[in-house]
Amino acid sequence: MTDQEILKLYREGGREAAFRLLVQTYKERLYWHIRRMVLDHDDADDCLQNTFLKAWRSLDGFRGDARLYTWLYRIATNETLTFLSNQQKRGEYVGLDAADRLSSDTWFDGDRVQAALHKAIAKLPPKQKAVFNLRYFEEMPYEQISRVLETSEGALKASYHHAYEKVKAWMQAALD
Amino acid sequence: MNEEKDILQSLAGSGNPFRAPEGYFDALEDRVMTRIAADAAEQPQRPVWRILKPALTLAAAFAIIFGMGYGVLALTHTLDRGVGTSASEGFASVEEELIRPISLIEYYQSEPVEENAELDEETLVDYLSSSLSWADLADIYAQSY
Repeated sequence: MTDQEILKLYREGGREAAFRLLVQTYKERLYWHIRRMVLDHDDADDCLQNTFLKAWRSLDGFRGDARLYTWLYRIATNETLTFLSNQQKRGEYVGLDAADRLSSDTWFDGDRVQAALHKAIAKLPPKQKAVFNLRYFEEMPYEQISRVLETSEGALKASYHHAYEKVKAWMQAALD
Repeated sequence: MNEEKDILQSLAGSGNPFRAPEGYFDALEDRVMTRIAADAAEQPQRPVWRILKPALTLAAAFAIIFGMGYGVLALTHTLDRGVGTSASEGFASVEEELIRPISLIEYYQSEPVEENAELDEETLVDYLSSSLSWADLADIYAQSY
């Protein structure tokens, strides 16, 4: 079902049915996007549910000038960045803690090298991490990332380049 | 991008190393809808006074400003002098006062004339010739006889 069909159903009174379809359509993409940012499944689940709750509360005001996909990614990314920022404020530098725990995480099947990659990504500042993940793992065009993060394409390209160089250097150092 | 990605992939390989618990995605819609229903139930009903609060605040602010303005006018006795006129009304009244044609009779009636004042004949002739037309003079003559 397309975004337009979901929105038409929502506006014609089938609000819950339409929202179920929206969740069904986007749940996996959003989950993996969040999961790569926070690493831990339970944290990803919390952020994902908060994302959908916020989407439900503000769907009435969705004007349709952006795609639902971009709009949901923006909510999910902001929710995740807020989560990471709160953890940092509480002094729980969780990204790195979670990265340290990856090897023993039940829901992580990667080897030592993959763990090193995600540990390196976890060291990036939160917004740079979002840029890196959207570009590297999801291969999202800069133009779309620009709409999700509300940042210019030029700034995103520079941010990705810096992030890539850091991740590569940290990985090589970890594996040497 | 692809070249960069190839370098990292040669190090870390491709594929998603993360997993979600079995059945996690199947149950997600129901969990989200349950959470939404719980959230709606938790939202407290807004009491009437809270809904009206912005309007009441605005009304109170207007009342205070009106009261202060009225107080100032009352203390300076501005209210006793009557309601002022607008600029255009004021101008119209001045204009009417200055430009209104006045008859000779009105002129003499409006001027306080001293009882024993003597009117010099030359002044009178000057005034009549400069202020009145021949028609006015003929009128005065006709009224006199």
